[in-house]
Amino acid sequence: MNWLYTKWWKWLSAVLLFYVVIGSYMVPLSPGISKIGPLSFSPDSIYTFTISGYHTHFKDPGVGKIQFWFKSGNDYFQAKDLNILSANTGEVKFGIGSNQQDSLKTNNFDIIGNDDIDGTFALREGVTLIKASKVDSSSTVNATTGPVEVVHNKHQFLAFPYREILYESIRNTFFHVPMWFVMTALVFFSLVCSVIYLTKGNSLYDVFAHQSIVAALLFGICGLATGMVWAKNTWGHYWVNDPKLNGAAVGVMIYFAYLVLRGSITDEIKRARIAAAYNIFSLVIFALFIYIIPRLTDSLHPGNGGNPAFSKYDLDSSLRMFFYPASIGWILLGFWIFSILTRLELIKQKQEL
Amino acid sequence: MTRYFLTLISFFLSLCTFAQGESVATSNNFMLSNHKVFVSVAVLTIILLLIFSFLFWIERRLKQLEDRQKN
Repeated sequence: MNWLYTKWWKWLSAVLLFYVVIGSYMVPLSPGISKIGPLSFSPDSIYTFTISGYHTHFKDPGVGKIQFWFKSGNDYFQAKDLNILSANTGEVKFGIGSNQQDSLKTNNFDIIGNDDIDGTFALREGVTLIKASKVDSSSTVNATTGPVEVVHNKHQFLAFPYREILYESIRNTFFHVPMWFVMTALVFFSLVCSVIYLTKGNSLYDVFAHQSIVAALLFGICGLATGMVWAKNTWGHYWVNDPKLNGAAVGVMIYFAYLVLRGSITDEIKRARIAAAYNIFSLVIFALFIYIIPRLTDSLHPGNGGNPAFSKYDLDSSLRMFFYPASIGWILLGFWIFSILTRLELIKQKQEL
Repeated sequence: MTRYFLTLISFFLSLCTFAQGESVATSNNFMLSNHKVFVSVAVLTIILLLIFSFLFWIERRLKQLEDRQKN
């Protein structure tokens, strides 16, 4: 009980969240390729591709040798005749012979570039080859594979990874994801309290279970709101038919039903017992809808439906510097709100006595 | 506990040393170059400040109520 009244972890929550909010916004995004045109090309012709960079420094004196490759499978074809138009725009010439098209593992080409300032940056599956129906043996166009020189960005100590679709919104990782961590932590805590209440019959644990669900719902709503804003900016709509989104909505509604159930029973002991039993089943359904079903079906969310999780590609060391403190900070804030609600409820109960 | 708390804060403050070596790459940053990022950070900091002030204020009020009930 004393931990409800101690202040050090509440201050820790404040410090961590100020660090996350201020720090994460001051860290820039790594260089990348935002777009390329044309998006498709045919064999036996040389095309001029316009490459648009993001945070790149093509015109900078220290940029050194700028190189671009078109990658298909494990083959790296070197782009030629680079023409720099601005700090973020350049033109390269590239073409492939129809006699080479059958040896390609995929028709989609990744675009990879590097220079001394920006390091190595890429655009996944940026250009598509439309294969010719016949091989033109007289064609002189022939793409040559070149040695790839990977240069690490030496000038930028701390930068968030550049990811297509996400761009600057990658910072929402520190807000949206921890909201669900907080909700999960609180509903799990509530489950433990419900189990203790059913075994010991101490009404204090019923108050704990009830108030932690109220606090969890607050973070669940914040999780849905931050997710919707993120979805609009990345997938184009506030709500898409994704099993994780629908599961999250169902999960939140299950706990709203818990509050409705509590409100519908007037007898205190009966209310506490039925609510505790319902709470145990709720967590099972909540976990099923949020953590299990989205992993079994196709999903837009990272780490679900065969998609790589953030931890595999995107959650690099720079993101971890903020993601872990954010998770701890938000969870502590969640328990802080829970402690306030609990103390308020205990004061009310004492006054009624 | 205070010692661990201060150690943790000093760990996060070490980030300030990275800020001293601002690179060529960061100077061309989109969000930093148009200064809008500072407005975003200022707004978010004010919101956080208000939230934490409110929570600490409630804490104090609750303490007063609890003390009154004890007496």
